[in-house]
Amino acid sequence: MMRSLIFGALSAIALPMAGQAAEGTPIQVTGEIIDTWCYYSGVMGSPDAVVGSAHHTCALWCSAGGIPVGLLAEDGTVYMVLKVGDDDQTAGGDGILKLAAHTVEADGTLYQRDGLNYIVVSEVVSDLDITNQNHDDYGNVPPFSIPKSARPGGE
Amino acid sequence: MLKQFTAALALVAAPLAAQDFSEGSEARSWNLYAEVPATFEATVVDLVCEFTGDCPADCGAGKRQLGLVRTADDVLVLPMKNSQPAFTGAAVELQPFCNQTITVDGLMIDDPELGANNVYLVQTIVPPGGGDKIKANQWTKKWAAEHPEAKGKGPWFRRDPSIAAIIEEEGYLGLGPAFDKEWIAENF
Repeated sequence: MMRSLIFGALSAIALPMAGQAAEGTPIQVTGEIIDTWCYYSGVMGSPDAVVGSAHHTCALWCSAGGIPVGLLAEDGTVYMVLKVGDDDQTAGGDGILKLAAHTVEADGTLYQRDGLNYIVVSEVVSDLDITNQNHDDYGNVPPFSIPKSARPGGE
Repeated sequence: MLKQFTAALALVAAPLAAQDFSEGSEARSWNLYAEVPATFEATVVDLVCEFTGDCPADCGAGKRQLGLVRTADDVLVLPMKNSQPAFTGAAVELQPFCNQTITVDGLMIDDPELGANNVYLVQTIVPPGGGDKIKANQWTKKWAAEHPEAKGKGPWFRRDPSIAAIIEEEGYLGLGPAFDKEWIAENF
């Protein structure tokens, strides 16, 4: 009896651990392809400032640099993008780079583990380009994202 | 018998308790509001492999996003950043240790309200079996080796051909070169 009790108690504790490797769930998400490091770390400013047109150039830098890109849904949920179609080069690849700061509608499979959402995108159903035009609110973030050479009188 | 039962429960429950991974960390601060120093042993995993079962032997050659499965509690940590203040990720630094167990030191970013759970900046790596710490700062060297045509002055991100091509087509704000020109003239 006691052996059964112990086994049952241990099983009850162990089960949630085994469940951490969640099964994938089909999902459709509409949101912006973002630079997750600037978004989460606050290194360049508030979350609202490190998205959209204001942050387009920095989003290109971070994506090309291999920082994980995220899909920021309209409800604020961030999905870490691991693959888009057949393209698994989401750490610095050219395919994902072209979507920086764009709003997309994506079909894919959601995996959740340890407080993060991961998405394997099967298809970008629509690419709406940059819809979040926040540059008049925040300027260009960071300010050096537009080099002196591109400014009036620049070399 | 009840004592044995209690001891068994405690043994199983111990690893589940929250652990302090800051002890022994020598990570440098980046003065980030949510940073927490953290050093831990972990196995480097290919995230696409982990979730889908598509598992190339080299974990994607540094082009797939990688994860760190922490030995102490089986938590999957997402390494987002290497140690260079240069818009550079961590996959290139970790890929040589694909499917191996290493010890990392760096900064955890902990902001659950924003959704930042178990995301990490890697500063140093101790290889499997021990040895000296390796700085996680190889990204720019690797980029330079892969882009000899982009050699020149200034940081890599000003010279990267792929970035330059998109900026030429879409502009710095991503709204087109003509839009850029007008906005820059008004704001600088």
